[in-house]
Amino acid sequence: MILGKIKMLITVLMIAGVAGASLYVMKLRSDNAILKANQTKLETAITEQNKVLEQQKKDFSAILESNKKLNQLVTTFKKDLQDLDKRFTKKNRDIGKLALQRTKSIERIVNKGGKNAARCIELASGAEHTEEELKATLKSQINPECPALANPNFVHYE
Amino acid sequence: MQIQILYTMNKILAIISILLLTGCSIGGEKKIKIFSVEQPREKLNYEMPTPLQMQEIFWHIITSENAEEVFKKLEEAGIDPVLFGITDKDFQVLARNFAQIRQKLQETNNLLQEYKKYYEGENNGKM
Repeated sequence: MILGKIKMLITVLMIAGVAGASLYVMKLRSDNAILKANQTKLETAITEQNKVLEQQKKDFSAILESNKKLNQLVTTFKKDLQDLDKRFTKKNRDIGKLALQRTKSIERIVNKGGKNAARCIELASGAEHTEEELKATLKSQINPECPALANPNFVHYE
Repeated sequence: MQIQILYTMNKILAIISILLLTGCSIGGEKKIKIFSVEQPREKLNYEMPTPLQMQEIFWHIITSENAEEVFKKLEEAGIDPVLFGITDKDFQVLARNFAQIRQKLQETNNLLQEYKKYYEGENNGKM
């Protein structure tokens, strides 16, 4: 009789133990699922943040590059203006006196300069370069009014 | 006999508990997928301004010596014998002014290109 009761008690305890263990495991699995979801969210957030950082890096280098280009452009502008002044005043040149002495030659030079300057305006407004302009590498081939703009392959030399 | 039953029960319980512990894990847990789709801003896509096409002009140089000859040639060509003149100094100023206008045009165009390139990507920055 007593042996029977003990057996029953052991059986009940075993069933309760198994049920408890099952519930505990289920709780663990549920916790695990939540943790996995959190992990996924964190990983997504990290990936997104990395993407943002990468984009920021790209943006900064693009801004630097753009600034550099524009600064170079401004330097070129200054040089072009200096060159223009030099053409009029080089070695105490007086274009008025020269025009008196060699009227026809100066007229030709002035008209050629005017034509070149007009071409510079066209290029500055976005016109396509001609093949001739792109190929020009010698001083005799370039547009002296705006060599940096008109002849990108020309390297300045004295 | 009773011990035999107890053994059998224990075996059954062991199998049940194993099934309870492992049953849900068959096929593994479904992974949670999180999507975030970013809708990019519409591009402005303006065409770049049309390049200018300059018309050619002819500069006449008139001195006290060739003035008559120049006017005579104009008359012969059927052009009104009138010229709008500037001095040599003013010609220099005019040349400088034109150079500055051209530079400003180039600067503005470049800025526009850079903005387009930065906000809309390399392919759209092309003029």
